[in-house]
Amino acid sequence: MSLVRKLAFRNLFHDRLRLVATVIGIVFSIVLVTVQMGLYLGFGHMVATMIDNADADLWIMPKGTKCFEDPSLLDERKRFRAKSIDGVADATPIVIGFADWRTPSGTSTPVFVVGSNLKTGLRPWNLVEGQIAALSIPSAVAVDQSYFDRLGVKGIGSTAEIRQQKVRIAAVTSGIRSFTTTPYVFTTTERARQYAGIPEGKATYFLVHLSKGADANATRQRLLANLDDIEVLTPTEFRNRSQSFWLFDTGAGMALFAGAVLGIIVGTVIVAQTLYSSTKDHLEEFATLRAIGSSAKYIYEVIIWQALISAVIGFCLAALIGGMIVKLTEGGALPIMMTPLLTLGLFVLTVTMCVASAIAAIVKVMRVDPAIVFSR
Amino acid sequence: MSEPVIEAVDVVKVLGSGAGEVQALKGVSVALGAGELALLMGPSGSGKTTLLSILGCMLTPNGGTVRVRGHDTAGQEPEELADLRRRHIGFVFQSYHLFPTLNATDNVRLVLDVRGEYGRHAVKRAQDALAMVGLAHKLKSYPSQLSGGEQQRVAIARAIVGDAPAILADEPTAALDSENGHAIMTILSDIARDKSRGVLVVTHDPRLVPFANRIVRIEDGRIVGEERGPAKRKMKADA
Repeated sequence: MSLVRKLAFRNLFHDRLRLVATVIGIVFSIVLVTVQMGLYLGFGHMVATMIDNADADLWIMPKGTKCFEDPSLLDERKRFRAKSIDGVADATPIVIGFADWRTPSGTSTPVFVVGSNLKTGLRPWNLVEGQIAALSIPSAVAVDQSYFDRLGVKGIGSTAEIRQQKVRIAAVTSGIRSFTTTPYVFTTTERARQYAGIPEGKATYFLVHLSKGADANATRQRLLANLDDIEVLTPTEFRNRSQSFWLFDTGAGMALFAGAVLGIIVGTVIVAQTLYSSTKDHLEEFATLRAIGSSAKYIYEVIIWQALISAVIGFCLAALIGGMIVKLTEGGALPIMMTPLLTLGLFVLTVTMCVASAIAAIVKVMRVDPAIVFSR
Repeated sequence: MSEPVIEAVDVVKVLGSGAGEVQALKGVSVALGAGELALLMGPSGSGKTTLLSILGCMLTPNGGTVRVRGHDTAGQEPEELADLRRRHIGFVFQSYHLFPTLNATDNVRLVLDVRGEYGRHAVKRAQDALAMVGLAHKLKSYPSQLSGGEQQRVAIARAIVGDAPAILADEPTAALDSENGHAIMTILSDIARDKSRGVLVVTHDPRLVPFANRIVRIEDGRIVGEERGPAKRKMKADA
């Protein structure tokens, strides 16, 4: 085996304090990027969670709808017309809207009401207590257990009020959290209208089920041709639109990206600085290498291996800390997500950052005069 | 003298610029033949180290010609000069310049490593070179575990391991006591007995004269004298 890796390893571990500083720089940078990108993924996932869990082939929505939470309304008559169009097996109304939840103790908190047909549409998922069918009972609602304190309830059977109407917890979910931190309250379409103050005959979305063998695009074109002032999107398209709105139109995504870029810059500067000073300290050795006839490539390899070893150590520690943060935020309002692709991306980023950081050190070595070995 | 392994012809070297400009070498011609140990002697500032740097292809002259094994170094790129050093020149430095993080074997093996020679064969060659300088028992020792004399022997093993025809030594005994200095010069003169190798030692220490086949004296950037050394006379007497 060539001595390149041994030299790089020994150069790094020879000065442990500097190695610690390098690794801290990398870890700080990569954890920061992990958190920012994990938040970005988590946020993107949360803003699309209702769309991902809805049972639909196509979504009919008012023209100009920007995201799932958009409160614009459709006329129910359009649903009946939609059902008559070739390719449409069914069109289920979905009603959403904000409402005021009053706890038994008299305090109030805003909630986001989601009303759907209980057999299909957008029903609560991840049920940990109760049944969906129980929501058909008058005043029955489903809430997520993570919001119990906020809603002033203890579980099934607890009661509260929405718009002066009594509600009773009939089902409990787990992990259905809103990125706005406003609790979701699931119920039937009719009761959702009452709770959110939406007039009879109005709905926010119609979820279309296609007939067997129907072509989604052709059906969409027919719907657009027959219904005014609507848009028809596939779940993927609606998901992308919602994510694009929340992540980019609101600036939230850019803020997260800016944080990630800042992390990369900080990491690169720290690693570059420590690699540079390490190279400066070993300049005589690099000059000796050059004097005994090593090629420039050989010396670059030593420096780049130093950067790579630092990257691997730094990444492993950062991944460990990142994993702990992911675990800690798992049940939180905005979980930080980690995917295999993000992990791979972060590793590539760490390596790229460290190798790029080696450039300053390489430039320094390129200028070293091998003749200094005679004068020292 | 046999065909020189390294030679400089009318070499001129100017160091610094402007008011600080100094003509360090003023038309120096010198050659190192195979099978000889030559001493380059002169006072401080006479141009010894500058000449050694030029002969070692680390500095390029402003005028004149330098040939290494017949290859003219004029106009060569830094990578080409590094290649010449790699193949033809071994160096021994005054302050050893060993790698503190590598053991003796690896320090010697570096010369082979930069040539792309790895593996057991390279380790064996490094160990053989160390054995030649009497350090077979210190193969795994780090520089910090070796005395000055032992470190210089490692440096000599590093210079000879690649079978370089020219060994250039810069004040190899300056940092050593007389006993160790004597031992180092004995090793260098043994190396010079190999008819394929020449050893040039830069020094201002007159105690090294008995080891020399030839003594070249330099002063103020000029060669001011050249004489046969006692070693040459001794060899002839022995013959």
